[in-house]
Amino acid sequence: MESSRLKISVIIKLEPDFSEGNVSYNSDGTLNRAETKSILGPHSAVASMAALHAKVMHGADVSVGTMGPPIAEQALQQSQLLCDADELHLYSDRIFAGADTLATAEVLRTGIDKMHDGEKSDIVFSGHRASDGETGQTGPQTAWKLGYPFFGNVIDFSVDVENRLARVTRLVPIQGLYDVIEEIEAPLPIFITIHPSYKPTFTTVSQRLSFFKCQKEARDRAALYKNYLKTFTAQTLGVDPKLVGLPGSPTIVYRVEKIPRAKTSRMAEIIEGSNQDQIRAVAKKITDMIKVKEI
Amino acid sequence: MEKFDVAIVGGGSAGLAALKQLSNLGKQAVLLESGKAIGSKSISGGILYSKKPKHGRAYNVEDVYGQEFVTEAPLERSITKYILHATSNEKVFSIDLSSAHSYQTNFAYSVLMNKLNTWFAKQAGESAEKYGGGIIPGVHVQSIEWNNGATIVETNELERFQVKAIIAADGVNSEIAELTGARQKFVPEELYQGAKVIIKLPEQIMEQRFNISENDGAAHLFSGDIAQRHIGGGFLYTNRDTISLGGVYHYDSLLEKVVEPYELINKLILNPMVREFVKDEVPQKEEIDKTLPKEEQLRIRFAVSKLIRTWQDLRQSYYSTSGTEDLIKSGKYKTREEIVARLDMIRKDLSSKYRTRFITDYVELEYSAKLVPDGKRCRMKKPNHKNVLFVGDAAGRGIFVGPRIEGINVGIDDAVRAANAISRSLDRNNFDYEYLGGFYAHSVDESPYTRDMKQIDKDYLKIFLNATKDIPKDIIGSRYSMIFKLMSSETFRGLAVGFANILGYDRLLPILESEETYSKVPIELAEKLGKRLTSDYRPSIPSIAERVSKLKYDDDTVSHIKVNKPTSEFMKKMVLLCPTKCYSIEDNQVVLQHEGCIECGTCAPETQWRHPRGEKGISYQYG
Repeated sequence: MESSRLKISVIIKLEPDFSEGNVSYNSDGTLNRAETKSILGPHSAVASMAALHAKVMHGADVSVGTMGPPIAEQALQQSQLLCDADELHLYSDRIFAGADTLATAEVLRTGIDKMHDGEKSDIVFSGHRASDGETGQTGPQTAWKLGYPFFGNVIDFSVDVENRLARVTRLVPIQGLYDVIEEIEAPLPIFITIHPSYKPTFTTVSQRLSFFKCQKEARDRAALYKNYLKTFTAQTLGVDPKLVGLPGSPTIVYRVEKIPRAKTSRMAEIIEGSNQDQIRAVAKKITDMIKVKEI
Repeated sequence: MEKFDVAIVGGGSAGLAALKQLSNLGKQAVLLESGKAIGSKSISGGILYSKKPKHGRAYNVEDVYGQEFVTEAPLERSITKYILHATSNEKVFSIDLSSAHSYQTNFAYSVLMNKLNTWFAKQAGESAEKYGGGIIPGVHVQSIEWNNGATIVETNELERFQVKAIIAADGVNSEIAELTGARQKFVPEELYQGAKVIIKLPEQIMEQRFNISENDGAAHLFSGDIAQRHIGGGFLYTNRDTISLGGVYHYDSLLEKVVEPYELINKLILNPMVREFVKDEVPQKEEIDKTLPKEEQLRIRFAVSKLIRTWQDLRQSYYSTSGTEDLIKSGKYKTREEIVARLDMIRKDLSSKYRTRFITDYVELEYSAKLVPDGKRCRMKKPNHKNVLFVGDAAGRGIFVGPRIEGINVGIDDAVRAANAISRSLDRNNFDYEYLGGFYAHSVDESPYTRDMKQIDKDYLKIFLNATKDIPKDIIGSRYSMIFKLMSSETFRGLAVGFANILGYDRLLPILESEETYSKVPIELAEKLGKRLTSDYRPSIPSIAERVSKLKYDDDTVSHIKVNKPTSEFMKKMVLLCPTKCYSIEDNQVVLQHEGCIECGTCAPETQWRHPRGEKGISYQYG
């Protein structure tokens, strides 16, 4: 029955590529945004993988949305490559600029309502946090605006589509102790932020076959991602201008402090010579170091 | 438990052909491959043949994948020259065997297995999908169980599932054969050990050097002193812009006179003819001045590496028609002259700024090794067990008759026969031993390849003898002159071959495959008739450690090999015979370090040998 098909939505973010060799800083230590390449954020990638998991297990419809400048469609493309999305949403308007997490959540909430031809999403996934903002607020606030029960730090989930029930496994950090694993059952719809340690597993032949099929479809789709892309402005999205962008952002940034650069404790040394000699020299270095530590 | 019609174990060229053929027949099949990706564990010499035997039918690669195979598959070069060289020190005597090579041959292409199997997998996978099947890499089959008429496949990675029939295409070290008890492990007398290196050489330099046209290629075989008195020989095949160079030696002759497999390759590389074949212009970095500041040293190191890489890539494109076209099409360069100018500029930069020297040497890309079944000795008489059908190397099927070496095409022929047999069983829902296995065994028995593994083909022999007719018979030795005389006469040849075939290969092989044939006679030929060749550079041959360090592994934490008796004589020989030196001796006991293992199976006769778990172990880039 088509109407019982799961509807999965994912919210993602285009972030600076902090991987080695790609990131560039200004002389004052702040990020040089012009020089640094932007990519799909690593946490958004994990959320996209969770959506693919749901698609493989239950044959879900997947929509992905993001708020950002026009270039953010690259992140949508990268996400589609991971989750074989059926629909991509870009919410892009100058008046969205300067948004804090709450104003962003307002845009995303409105966007999610427009996904799946306006039908309600069963599960919304978001990343744990963004690698540039690091607040981890946008997900929960969007959940709150949607009125969906929220589950953070999720490391695994399963869905009983027929009975419209989800079972999620999440890490609950308790200060000073190890993380506790909590398993919760909840009726759909729900909002999930995925923990970075999440790794989808496919344990039957059919799941693997379906996984590869989706991956292949995703490659084909992402090559023509524009066919799946819908771009919304504030007007076409129908958001209240007072709730988005700078006017919709109650957050006041009082001060930004630079994280002091850690003192370099690593020293690289290149050992020359033939293989045997090199290994001997490296081994000696290591044993010397251990000796020093022991003293 | 999930149910599927057919499981194919192993994603080499035979397993993939089985999957494609089953899909061609509209049947559902799932192929399980233990490597991270299809092709990552496949290697071959390698030449892929398509044959047109006079008697019987061979199922060829194009029968499975369609005629587009020839135009679309990533084939290297069409091998049109086939030359055997007898070597002794600097002397080489050559015999053109191109006519024997083209005997009953539609085409023969040099291939690199990783690329080719990836293409096969794309075709087979897409077809299989239509019938609810497909390819699953990264899965290692652990056991097969028969329970109340159900056949259950168990893997390290997935839940158990049920099938109606299985095709075992898991190679020469077939675990399925061992698990099911379908056959004993192969013993050294039944095997060859092959080792190979891939050498880089720009396209047009290759074409000029080997005197071949743009799409054609050459195969050169070597026997004589390069064999170091072992039974077997060396080979050199031209690929598009690489060379496959290696040796294949009978395993028991290696056990008798133990030698490191890479030493045999090294000996071959040092032969003056081979040295001249593989040589190229190679940049050699100059030592960086140690008195410079550390940062400056690093900067120079990176700058030199980058320039060299650019120079190599550009040169590779420059010496290739399509490469040059692509460069000009991309708009980066307008003419060939511009590319030359840029190449010169980088070269000048490298030599003047960084004192890089350009020397004559050769460049190795990948080292590999595998065991090869000698079909004459070890083909399974009944390549079936219950509802499991064995194909290709797993069934011990490879053709080694004098200079004729075939394997990939044999595996494909088996695979088609197995797929056809299973399709017939699926149609009737009859998987009885006779209806399925008996039918398949009979079909394999009718294969022209099986005939070639059993007896001498007198027409092939005639062509071979014709090619060697100018050789003075006294050199060939008293042992063979009688045979040669008989065989050279039209009337006697039929009788002689008939008589030889009555004797059977079993009794003929010790005469045909001997040190005399592979070493002594060629050395004498080279000494007496050979041309003296020279090569005035010394190739810098990488050590085995350097060769292994270039390979890509995903090491498992546990070893997939367990040594049975660390003090046995056989295991002590592994210290030298293991192609990647995984064995060493400590306190008179043989110790294994599995991390460098390339899964050839050389040590399998006296170890508990398994393939690594899914995704683990070696991943070849060329194969």
